[in-house]
Amino acid sequence: MHIEIEELAKEFGTERALHPVSLAIPSGALIALLGPSGSGKTTLLRILGGLEFPTSGRVLFDGSDATGLTVQERRAGFVFQHYALFKHMTVFENIAYGLRARKRRERPTEAEIGRRVNRLLDLIQLPDIGARYPSQLSGGQRQRVALARALAIEPRMLLLDEPFGALDAKVRKELRQGLRDIHDTTGLTTIFVTHDQEEAMELADLVVVMSMGRIEQVGKPAEIRARPANDFVRSFTAA
Amino acid sequence: MRASLLRSPSPLPGFGLSFGIMMAILSIVVLLPLSALLGRGLMIGPADLWDMVNSRRIWSALELSFRAALIASVFNLVFGIVLAWVLVRYRFWGRKLVDAAVDLPFALPTAVAGISLTALYAPNGVFGQALAPLGIKVAYTELGIWMALIFIGLPFVVRTVQPVIEELDREVEEVSATLGARRTYTLRRVVLPTLAPAALTGFALALARSVGEYGSVIFIAGNIPNLTEIAPLLIVIRLEEYNYDAAAAIGIAMLLISFAMLLAINLIQIWSRRRIGLV
Amino acid sequence: MSDITFIRAESVTTEPRLARGLLIGGTMALIAVLLFAPLIAVFAEALRQGWAASLDALASPDARSAIRLTLIVAAIAVPLNAVFGIAAAWAITKFDFRGKAFLITLIDLPFSVSPVVAGLALVLLFGAHSTMGAWLIANDLKIVFAFPGIVLATMFVTFPFVARELIPVMIEQGRAEEEVALTLGASGWRVFFTVTLPNIRWALLYGVLLCNARAMGEFGAVAVISGKIRGETTTMPIMIEMLYNEYLSVAAFSLAAVLALLALVTLTLKSLLEWRHADVLAATRRH
Repeated sequence: MHIEIEELAKEFGTERALHPVSLAIPSGALIALLGPSGSGKTTLLRILGGLEFPTSGRVLFDGSDATGLTVQERRAGFVFQHYALFKHMTVFENIAYGLRARKRRERPTEAEIGRRVNRLLDLIQLPDIGARYPSQLSGGQRQRVALARALAIEPRMLLLDEPFGALDAKVRKELRQGLRDIHDTTGLTTIFVTHDQEEAMELADLVVVMSMGRIEQVGKPAEIRARPANDFVRSFTAA
Repeated sequence: MRASLLRSPSPLPGFGLSFGIMMAILSIVVLLPLSALLGRGLMIGPADLWDMVNSRRIWSALELSFRAALIASVFNLVFGIVLAWVLVRYRFWGRKLVDAAVDLPFALPTAVAGISLTALYAPNGVFGQALAPLGIKVAYTELGIWMALIFIGLPFVVRTVQPVIEELDREVEEVSATLGARRTYTLRRVVLPTLAPAALTGFALALARSVGEYGSVIFIAGNIPNLTEIAPLLIVIRLEEYNYDAAAAIGIAMLLISFAMLLAINLIQIWSRRRIGLV
Repeated sequence: MSDITFIRAESVTTEPRLARGLLIGGTMALIAVLLFAPLIAVFAEALRQGWAASLDALASPDARSAIRLTLIVAAIAVPLNAVFGIAAAWAITKFDFRGKAFLITLIDLPFSVSPVVAGLALVLLFGAHSTMGAWLIANDLKIVFAFPGIVLATMFVTFPFVARELIPVMIEQGRAEEEVALTLGASGWRVFFTVTLPNIRWALLYGVLLCNARAMGEFGAVAVISGKIRGETTTMPIMIEMLYNEYLSVAAFSLAAVLALLALVTLTLKSLLEWRHADVLAATRRH
């Protein structure tokens, strides 16, 4: 699914979190929103996911206006920085949640849900942890379960907020490759937020550098490295 | 530093003194009297105890005490969760006043609550007159006992659930929405199970309090034997007849049933806390 | 277009506006009926025949002796429970010993015992027919149907209040500050008065406040042990019952109104403490 963002702005009271920004995201791309805290990257991601609503501007999904769609209608697979797993449910129940939450007509049978959950557990390479509770998992395992849970609803896009932010350096490297593989397998348009320029440059097809609610530059990692648009981009992406 | 088998060493002084004061007061005020009650029971013997409790009037009273406490506590469980939610999550005029007023039943003496509820719900009271055309009688019926127990048990669930709602992780609710769940589904499947252990604690406290409640109930109950006579009142009546053995028998029966109930609730709670990985 | 945005501009973690309105309206209506109505009724009934009648009732010898007795009982029972609470919290939070969890359960026990059963237990322990009672009579000491019994019964029902507030606060504060004070050469008592007490004073005040409210209002336990001797062992709640049963409604409700005013003062102070010292008191809510 390709996404267009047209003159999108967001104010919290008198605070401008997002100046009018525009951006076109091609279908199937893996995009990084890169910037320091307060740059508006998470706000932009949350608007795409339907968790915040813009003060002005439009969002188009595959060419049709999605600005007024509710969060439930958007079918965006959203992964939070701290995963927000349901503590009182097993891994299996966590992943099955989105399917079971559907209206009866659209809900798959329990057998079908079981098949899909097991396929996702295989995809994240944790086939045997379905019966465990989140408190019994490591940080990296939690992140992958959160990813599988987001994929279970057959999302139209994948949105990840600092997906590696709460992990130590070694696990972070491993999971980066994991996300790349899952993106390549599913072909989903994937947008992730990060403040780590190395992570953005290594993983993304296209990097969107943001600062103070504005988009400073959009480009392939190599382009941004070679030709930074301004001093901010230069200093922020300097390795 | 003296260390003993029972205590690991600590550099801080005052263990002997503080432990001594604690045990002395605990023994005189709580442990010795309760032992005297249980000792009395042992002296009477289980067979005679059973004979003394096994009368229709006492069974009716015990049943009434526990039934009314259960009904009032279930009401307070549901209302307490909703009220805690409203007080934490919504902003409206008078919220702080109501938040403070929730503790009124803790602060208002039970006898005061008792006569005041009776004045309201008696046939010539404000609520009593309003309800009479509907054919509803509250004062001097079991309904009146429910009202009194709802009043005194109201704060418990609110106060145990409130801090849990304050610390709820909003992202968990958000993630549920992104997975396509309607708000009611999120509340039912995500929020409610998280509140359950705390709500259950409040429920147990309210239940324990209402089972033994006396002051607020006796005024509004009418105290008709077999109908609206609660177990604590029966103890008072036996004591006034100087029938200490019979009073002790009812007291022991109440203690045993209360502890069995609290034990059951504790077990449910350990089970539910273990499920969400808190233990 | 912009209209849609406006309608949707609510947080996804709240309920629809209509549901919120209904929930607020519904709960507030129930609060008005369940909590505020009984409170208002106390004052309305007390003033039914005007201020003069109400004040006359309070000036009667019986009412005055009841007020005096209630104040004296609270003045003895509450400080004793505060001493107990501080000692228990110190022993439990500053030291590790076996059976601690069981001890905490014992301290909480009075909350799950009916006040009437508490009174009964005291009567069985100290009453004339018991061993202890016989010895007391021989030595001309009276506990049951007398002042000491009322104090003991009041202490029983208010027993856990102070300890319950202090223990979580002191657990959260740890032992480090006391240990530092010791290394600086302070004596035990000095550590307690200059380090521990300032740290726990608001939680202590909070516990004492709740303890006092319950102490002045206790009915069931006192009703059993006091013997209800008019002018001698009648506390305010007992006097309210006697007046009410004698159909002296204005007198009963006038005394009740005094206790209700006390409850309002307690609630106000409690709220002030919660707002001013939320940081310290939060520990008692988290357990």
